[in-house]
Amino acid sequence: MNLKRILAVTSRESRGMVRDKLFFAMAFIVPSLLILTFGYGLSLDVMHSPIAVLDYDRTPMSRDYLHRFIDSPSFSFQGFLKSERDIYPLLASGKVRAVMIIPEHFQKSLLAGRPTAVQTLIDGTFPFRALTVKGYVIGINNAFNMSEFSRYLSRTAGMSQERALSTLSPIRTEVRCLYNRNLRSDWSIAPRLMMMVMMICPPFLTAMGVVREKETGAIYNIYSSTITRGEYLIGKLAPYVLVSICNMAVLWFIATEVFGAPFRGDRLFFFAASILYVICTTGIGLIVSVMVTTQVAAALVTFIVTVVPTVFYSGMFVPVGSLSQAGRIVARLLPAMYYTNIVTGCFLKGVGFEVLWSDALVLAVYAASLFMIGYSRFHKRPAS
Amino acid sequence: MVGGGSTPRPQTANPVVKLRAFTKNYGRQQAVCGVDLDIGFGEIFGLIGPDGAGKSSVMKAVAGVMSFDAGTLDVFGSRIDSERSAERVKERLGFMPQGLGQNLYPDLSVDENIDFFSRSRLVPRQEAEERKRILLEMTRLTPFRRRPMKNLSGGMKQKLGLVCTLIHEPGLVILDEPTTGLDPVSRRDFWTILSVLLREKKITALVSTAYMDEASRFHNLSLFYGGRVIAQGSPDQIMAAVPGSLVAFETKRQSQVLAGLKTRFSDVQARGSWLRVFVKGAGEKEAARQVRQAAGAAGEDIAELRSGPPELEDIFIALLREKKLTSEGSHSAAWLAESSAPSIREVPPNGGADIEAQNLVRDFGTFRAVDGVSFRVERGEIFGLLGANGAGKSTVIKMLVGLLPPTAGTGYVAGHGMLQAPRAIRERIGYMSQVFSLYRDLTVVENIRLYAGIYGLDRKQSRARTDWILEMAELAGHEDHQTEALPMGVRQRLALGCALVHSPRILFLDEPTSGVDPIGRRRFWDILFRLSRHEMVSILITTHYMGEAEHCDHLALMYGGKVVADASPEEMKNRLALQAGQLLEVKTDNPLPAMNVLREAGFEGVSIHGRQIHLLARDPGAAERHIRELLAQKSISLLAISEQPLSMEDVFVYQVMNLEKNGGKTA
Repeated sequence: MNLKRILAVTSRESRGMVRDKLFFAMAFIVPSLLILTFGYGLSLDVMHSPIAVLDYDRTPMSRDYLHRFIDSPSFSFQGFLKSERDIYPLLASGKVRAVMIIPEHFQKSLLAGRPTAVQTLIDGTFPFRALTVKGYVIGINNAFNMSEFSRYLSRTAGMSQERALSTLSPIRTEVRCLYNRNLRSDWSIAPRLMMMVMMICPPFLTAMGVVREKETGAIYNIYSSTITRGEYLIGKLAPYVLVSICNMAVLWFIATEVFGAPFRGDRLFFFAASILYVICTTGIGLIVSVMVTTQVAAALVTFIVTVVPTVFYSGMFVPVGSLSQAGRIVARLLPAMYYTNIVTGCFLKGVGFEVLWSDALVLAVYAASLFMIGYSRFHKRPAS
Repeated sequence: MVGGGSTPRPQTANPVVKLRAFTKNYGRQQAVCGVDLDIGFGEIFGLIGPDGAGKSSVMKAVAGVMSFDAGTLDVFGSRIDSERSAERVKERLGFMPQGLGQNLYPDLSVDENIDFFSRSRLVPRQEAEERKRILLEMTRLTPFRRRPMKNLSGGMKQKLGLVCTLIHEPGLVILDEPTTGLDPVSRRDFWTILSVLLREKKITALVSTAYMDEASRFHNLSLFYGGRVIAQGSPDQIMAAVPGSLVAFETKRQSQVLAGLKTRFSDVQARGSWLRVFVKGAGEKEAARQVRQAAGAAGEDIAELRSGPPELEDIFIALLREKKLTSEGSHSAAWLAESSAPSIREVPPNGGADIEAQNLVRDFGTFRAVDGVSFRVERGEIFGLLGANGAGKSTVIKMLVGLLPPTAGTGYVAGHGMLQAPRAIRERIGYMSQVFSLYRDLTVVENIRLYAGIYGLDRKQSRARTDWILEMAELAGHEDHQTEALPMGVRQRLALGCALVHSPRILFLDEPTSGVDPIGRRRFWDILFRLSRHEMVSILITTHYMGEAEHCDHLALMYGGKVVADASPEEMKNRLALQAGQLLEVKTDNPLPAMNVLREAGFEGVSIHGRQIHLLARDPGAAERHIRELLAQKSISLLAISEQPLSMEDVFVYQVMNLEKNGGKTA
């Protein structure tokens, strides 16, 4: 190992990275851009769903019923409709996601003690969202039923309305969500996005950087020189790792400040684990680069080996525990899941080394083996 | 040392590089097969051959950057058979891979590029600075030290590559096609610098080239073809391998005489209005007599002919024929002469040109790629647009065929204005690009039918044209072969056929011969000759092979976006002879100091070719006396002085140097 040669490679690589527009963008702009676009676009909360109402009854009671929906933060009221013909265009164009139809004699029936039905039409193109909206509708409707019934009881049985209410539902559920009290999805997504962005960007940068040299022939400068394999790989990859570590800090800032995610854990541990992770993903890029010879192939292979597993097997959207047996095995074979544990642990749960040391250890082993494989597959005297 | 019938056996004491039975395969494809080679200390050793001949494989193996499959390789006396053993000699090697500046770092400045190489080679800082200063001075790159490498011209990139390769003062440099794609001026410059540096530092060099005319630059060389060495030795030894003479004469009945001569001699070519015959095994006088006789039999009485020594390409082709390594064209001599059409080009009735460029200008951003280009191509003429990569040739063609709007100026093709009627023009022209726009997964016939479809031919026409193309381009036997698998030369002829499918009267050929071997090139030119003479097709062709220019009826030399000369090849040479004189070749045992002496004495066009020096002199007799005196004063022994025929390269270099001297732009 000769430090001078390593530095020669590193300084050349750094200059190239800063001056080449494509590499500059990949190194310094794309990671922040990714977390911002994904963070804003991926919010999984179903809030303020646009809703419209067709009220055939137009009585105080129907208005009272409707206001429970209109005033709820789950819905954003878009207005009253005049006829049934207006419903479908609105739903089809996506201007509203749900329409409620109150039948005639709504108040009359209720006062007469006859059951009545309120129809709700929900846009079902996104089942997950439709289910959530349906849940809200049922919940609000139940609450209305309860209060109507309790009012009826208090009137007929002469007890207070509170009394009537507690008689009706002797058990109250009391759920408290730990770590993310309001179940804000941006709190949980922003840290996971750090995992995803850092799974994608360093391998791209590394694979393209090494393969570009193969494509132009500049790699022959290395092959034909006295620089050793190890010196070249360290010198070449060091700038990528350093830039990725800086990006990590920027992403952390965006996650906490822009998306407001709380960071409750040990910063030092998180920083160290993130460095391990970045070295790990850089190693993935190295492996890709020794397998292929063109930049197009490098981009394609990197995409396949990073994006696909990260979306499905990292615990990004679906917890690893809910995956199929095979899926769980795949998840355990990839580094992303371990870093997801570290990220959610550090951000939301406020735990550190004492809980997450095993995940960090796996990352370290992963990083070391990737570099060993990369080193052993990189040759200065290839067959072609 | 020259390869006769059997494998050549080199014999050099303590060679720097020694290859024995060297073999390299890529998958099932054999790239190099049983090559023996010795490179002596301090010599410039050349590998000459067409693309794909195996040169690069040998060079990469010697540089220790690629493994090989069989045989042995010794560099500086140590056996190279593993990555580890290759590492041991790399300190003493410098390798410059193929491609203009491809191994350099485009975003780094000249300085930074050199610094990277010296730092990665652990050259002590002070020494590195000193060497850099001297090398930059020699290559005249000092004014451009801060310029990013991507903004250098091709010639400057190659010189920078050379500086980077030499910065650690290796004992052996391996340069893979360093001059390919350079303009002749940069090529000469590069060779001179290389010769001087190698001599001063006592560096041995292995250099490859696809240009046959660079052979004289080497002390020893190997001719490569199809992964084998077909001849080896000094340029003189190789020339002596196939004794013979070259005879050239001008005739008006070119086609008929050509057909007559072809029955007798294997190597007859039309070049412009001239015929050129290589007569094997005959001295100059005897060759002239034989050609006169054969021409007489064909009914031509030759008034004046020239005879002289052959060129390396003639020898190369003769060797390939001897070793039966090449398939001959299927065209009989009669095919070339066939048809009763007059072989003299008829002037179109309106006397107009088929192609006319008027003051064409094209800017790319602030860069002026084409700068006021004008020329005329007459009906049935082969017109050559000659220049280096980046001289603006392709841009001119793209403007004329309507693929690129001009910034200023206009042009006429087949009587239509290129600005007004690009559609009408496209129906009347065929265009064949550098990359042969063929579909590689289709067969030969499918490709032709596809183009017939594109040009809207009906089934009957399509069948007729397909037959015509198969015959014209000698594709019989290849009909159902997938284009992918065809040799380069065949693919080239197919591309030509496809460009002719709609019987255009004008043909645009953009660098059609790059990468094709000499025999393939000759067959191609035979076809072009026939097309222009019998089918009356006007042909505009671009090339950076100066040697090919001589095939053209008319030439325009392009340099830096401008046309710097516009005449027939003969006229150009005659003009040069009038302006600057004849070409003298000075043989000496100490060429470097001799070159300096002659330069200082004010001779024009002094350049170094291996052990010889070339220069231009108006009065050869007086010049010879002067040279003898000068060299005697410096006690440099003179071996011989002889007059040599001027080449197109001489013309090009002289024109450009003149332009620069007279305050023209610098490259």
